[in-house]
Amino acid sequence: MDMHPIFRSFDPGLIWFYRITGYAPADFVIGTFVLALLAVVLGNVTVWLALLVGKRHMDRATVEAQKYQDLSMDALASGDRQAYEATNQLANDAFGKTFYTQIAFSGAFLWPICVALAWMQYRFQDLAFPIPFIGLSLGYIGIFILLYIPAYILFKKAKHKLPFFRRIKSALNGYAPKVQHQE
Amino acid sequence: MRKKTLLIVGLFAALAVVATLVLAEPSWAGKLEEAIAKTPVGAGPGMIHPDAPKGFMGIPGAPSHFWLFYILWGIWVGWIFSSVGAFGGIMAGVGHISVFGLSDYAKSFKNTSPTLNKMMTDSIRTSNQYLVGLSALISSFTYYRMGRLVLPLGLCLAIGGILAGYLVPLLTVGKMNVSTYVGFFGIIVFAVAFVLFYETTPSGQAKKKAAKAAAKAFEEAHIKKSTEVSAEHAKGVQVTHWGLSKIAFTFYGQEFSFNPLWPLLGGFVINGISALIGVGGGFLYVPFLTSVAGLPMFIVAGTSALAVLVGMIVNIFNMMVVRQVPVDFLLIGTELVGIAIGSVLGPMTSKKIPEVWLKRIFVILAVYVGIGYLTKGFMGKSILPGM
Repeated sequence: MDMHPIFRSFDPGLIWFYRITGYAPADFVIGTFVLALLAVVLGNVTVWLALLVGKRHMDRATVEAQKYQDLSMDALASGDRQAYEATNQLANDAFGKTFYTQIAFSGAFLWPICVALAWMQYRFQDLAFPIPFIGLSLGYIGIFILLYIPAYILFKKAKHKLPFFRRIKSALNGYAPKVQHQE
Repeated sequence: MRKKTLLIVGLFAALAVVATLVLAEPSWAGKLEEAIAKTPVGAGPGMIHPDAPKGFMGIPGAPSHFWLFYILWGIWVGWIFSSVGAFGGIMAGVGHISVFGLSDYAKSFKNTSPTLNKMMTDSIRTSNQYLVGLSALISSFTYYRMGRLVLPLGLCLAIGGILAGYLVPLLTVGKMNVSTYVGFFGIIVFAVAFVLFYETTPSGQAKKKAAKAAAKAFEEAHIKKSTEVSAEHAKGVQVTHWGLSKIAFTFYGQEFSFNPLWPLLGGFVINGISALIGVGGGFLYVPFLTSVAGLPMFIVAGTSALAVLVGMIVNIFNMMVVRQVPVDFLLIGTELVGIAIGSVLGPMTSKKIPEVWLKRIFVILAVYVGIGYLTKGFMGKSILPGM
């Protein structure tokens, strides 16, 4: 398959990580892990950009959902079944709003994964790692997903030590949602 | 508690992966190339010319558009997600089926290359799943952290979901032609249209108004009283009865019970829709549990997130990893960029239009798309233009 022009500029840089040791299986794991880590970092940066603009709206919706959720619990605790059903329904509606907004926001986090997989599709389309004893094999997607998890965990632990991401965290904490029960 | 929930999630994930790997068939590498090779060579409909410019999934002569077009469509989908809700998923599918011209292209191979026709059908629905399902998975994680877990309920939903996640791809991958898929998609569009329509009717509006009034009355009465957290309330979810026909638990001093058959069936149907159409699955758990089972939102969010997680793991492994349904990742990635932009623009612009009118506009759009797809899928030709 011919490579899409969009990948030609950074293909040499990415493939370099797949040629470090000269031992193909190890190189594939190293290269894919670096690619997964890049996808995690890029996703974090773009989700920050999206949140910077849209977090206020997200927080408003979350506060509303939280408010009705708490109210429904209070109604349940005080044995008021009618109030419980009403508040539970409103909590469900508010939850729906935040859920779909979050789905859309998730795009900012997920797009680098798809771009990384698209590049791998050109490079490693026919690659298959056999799984012992069960006669199945994992393709490049399976390997990428398996390596994305440790890359995500590693970055999650490390990002608090990186000045840029520390600044992002404090910027986002600057307007954390406040749940007000008694307005 | 945190360790315990992580352990449960881990166990479910392991169970799902093992179940899928044990039950799945060996993958078929390079099947797209094989299907292309079996297709007649030429420039006419239902043929592939090897020298034609490469389009969707790298197929020579397949539809291909300028990248900005995918971003613009993504913005539209993201805008709908963040202003109207579920209809965003439908529009993501409409993009793949109609706007990007994939279903008509796939249909042209109905007689000349049925394998390619069915493979493109699988690719379209898997693309929907990537676009909507993975994003829903992230949202579910967030709610999982917020909520509490009713283990037997999550277990029943997950078992039903795993069963559907295995059976639906087994019965349909490589077997469903694009017309059937489009017809089923039309049915789902009508279901969403019906829900949106009900919310805009006087009855739907009155119900919401009454709920708000009841909530406000309770809130005002509640302000005057100080709530004491009794020992019973602090206990959280306590399962009091496990049985084949009834599972009961207490929460905040109130008893709730359910027949395990219902969440099993619910999990099966909901994840089945997700696996079949690629949209409309995971996010149905919450309304199902609050409206049908009458359970508190406080525990529904966490429990449904667990079911979504398990269902998606099965679907992802089955459709994407084990069965290796080919998808155009660059197209999906570009659309996701647009969706992220739309998610930011949605709240800024939608507040200028009253919610009820926004829903009415989308009811009309949904009826149009629903009729178009039903006739296209089951009668062979859409009676409405643009579908």
